[in-house]
Amino acid sequence: MEKLLEVKNLSKVFTVGTLLFRVKITAVDNVSFQVGKGEIFTLAGESGCGKTTTARMILGFEEPTAGEIIFEGKSVREWKKNRRDFLKRVQAVFQNPFESFNPLLTVDDIFFETVRNHKIRTKGAESYIDEILKIVGLSFEEIRGRYPSELSGGQLQRASIARALLSEPSLLIADEPVSMVDASLRMSIVNLFGELKQKMNLSVIYITHDLATAYYVSDKIAIMFKGNVVEMGPVEEVLTRSKHPYTRLLCESIPEPDPEKRWEREISIADTEYAEYLRTGCKFAGRCPEAQEICRTVVPPEISVDGVLVKCHIYGEKRG
Amino acid sequence: MNFVKGYLIPRLLQYVIVTFLGLTAIFFLPRLLPVDPIKQQLGQSQTFGVYIPPEQQDEMMRILRQLYGLEGTLWEQYVNFWKRLFTGNFGPSFSRYPVPVVRVIAQALPWTIALLSFTTLLSWIVAVVVGGIVGYHRKSWMEALDVFVMVVRPIPYYIMALICLILFAYVFPIFPLSGGLGIGRTLKFDLETIFNVLKHAFLPALTLLIVGFSWQFQSMKLIVQGVKAEDHVWYAKTAGVEERRIVFSHVVRNAMLPMITQLGLQFGTIFGGALVTEMVFAYPGIGWILYDAIMKADYNLIMGIMCISLVATTTSILVLDFVYPLFDPRVRYR
Repeated sequence: MEKLLEVKNLSKVFTVGTLLFRVKITAVDNVSFQVGKGEIFTLAGESGCGKTTTARMILGFEEPTAGEIIFEGKSVREWKKNRRDFLKRVQAVFQNPFESFNPLLTVDDIFFETVRNHKIRTKGAESYIDEILKIVGLSFEEIRGRYPSELSGGQLQRASIARALLSEPSLLIADEPVSMVDASLRMSIVNLFGELKQKMNLSVIYITHDLATAYYVSDKIAIMFKGNVVEMGPVEEVLTRSKHPYTRLLCESIPEPDPEKRWEREISIADTEYAEYLRTGCKFAGRCPEAQEICRTVVPPEISVDGVLVKCHIYGEKRG
Repeated sequence: MNFVKGYLIPRLLQYVIVTFLGLTAIFFLPRLLPVDPIKQQLGQSQTFGVYIPPEQQDEMMRILRQLYGLEGTLWEQYVNFWKRLFTGNFGPSFSRYPVPVVRVIAQALPWTIALLSFTTLLSWIVAVVVGGIVGYHRKSWMEALDVFVMVVRPIPYYIMALICLILFAYVFPIFPLSGGLGIGRTLKFDLETIFNVLKHAFLPALTLLIVGFSWQFQSMKLIVQGVKAEDHVWYAKTAGVEERRIVFSHVVRNAMLPMITQLGLQFGTIFGGALVTEMVFAYPGIGWILYDAIMKADYNLIMGIMCISLVATTTSILVLDFVYPLFDPRVRYR
């Protein structure tokens, strides 16, 4: 598959705290992955694991501390010079549809703004917008002159996806696009990504904490934990035959709609989120049921097992 | 039409009802006090050694009751109260007998309104502009401004006013120590008088500006920072919206809404005066008059000032409600 986006050794360090008491937190720690053309790549993990920060760095909203992002053969730093061209090719959809549109402007305003700024159409903007809105199951009549407060969350989220598609991007970064949408609408939006991939050969970076939808729609998945990619590979392999203890824990945590089923395992949270970030060895050691002495002191290596990249000491031992 | 029926008319009704209830409360509250102001005043006079012959006591009480508007039953008094209100007559002031309350207020109010409306508006405008810039960009000179505001804000107002007074009126006698106009001058419309008035108003205005600016600057800065981090701003950036348009129509415009509310509410409080300012600088405003009236138990004057300040507050809220749809389309299209 042709390479569209490559992220190499990406790191982001935030300094938090007051003047006297400063702590550096590595929100994204040496992350590398590739996204091919027409591929849906999922970044999954709990809140605060660095998936949104990664997305923001790809979009150029945040400056990486180290590492490189290469999009269509050019570094994002180079793209900075013609930011509009970059944003024409890379678009984003955000988590909260109610916050994605300025409450004081009409929804169509941002559509026309996009068409104008990215110089997509000089004539017939309205029919073009209508055409794109049809893809997501809306029509221009539904949003004409409307304020965001007059539309439902599902409508807004679909509109926000349509707006992102106006410039015919090659990469769409969807940051938790369904977590604020009603469960009944969730699948229609997730399916939409699959359709767009088929029809427009669109690549999607799908950021989520919902493994069920990720399994359903994506080709590749990377599981993140406290800034590290702990497991990455084809979605089938990662989610059905999980290697990393954290992935296993995540998969087991998916609730099934079965009232008879009970949680089998106690999940203890030994550290605060803060302490986990500051751990020296494997950051998951505090919660890991298979943690050993080495996990607490040495950062685990990245090991390739059955075509899946795993960052865990368990597999290191087996090999020797 | 829908907007008029669904928004304007209810606001207007609300305004009338709130004003009516407020004025009614002003009428009834003093009457719920267990003290009879007339007996109190007679008693006070007697303790000061004024001899009132017993046969004249009843006559005196009758005259005083008439002055206070305390004749007849409660209902008659209440009707009378409204009658007097509509004719703008609050009776005579006791401490300045026989000057009518209306004239006492009319003399003090222009001073207060001129001083406070100017400082309120100016500090608001400066705070919104500077706070907006500082909230959006983060540069080193802005940190300095931030620190200045953080130092100034916790200083109690009267301390700051006194420091200004000592510094600029005593140590460096640039500005007059007190008053609104030089002693022995009369208000005339000539350059010299205007200059004199401005010179007297300078220090009170300066302190009010500093205080008003500090807190409005901080709130504007925080609101802008909040709005700037909202998703729609990022989303607008991906739409290729240029920086200038993002600042004005996506960040500052949204942040202005709460600031407009603040300004409107502040304008309502102007008519109550700025007591501490007026006391420190001995400025002849309405706050000073109110203080004086309370100290001298000048009921008519207190009632007069309270009524005016109540109507001013409710009216400014009404005006705020009426202009708000100009800024917030969500209200317009409900």
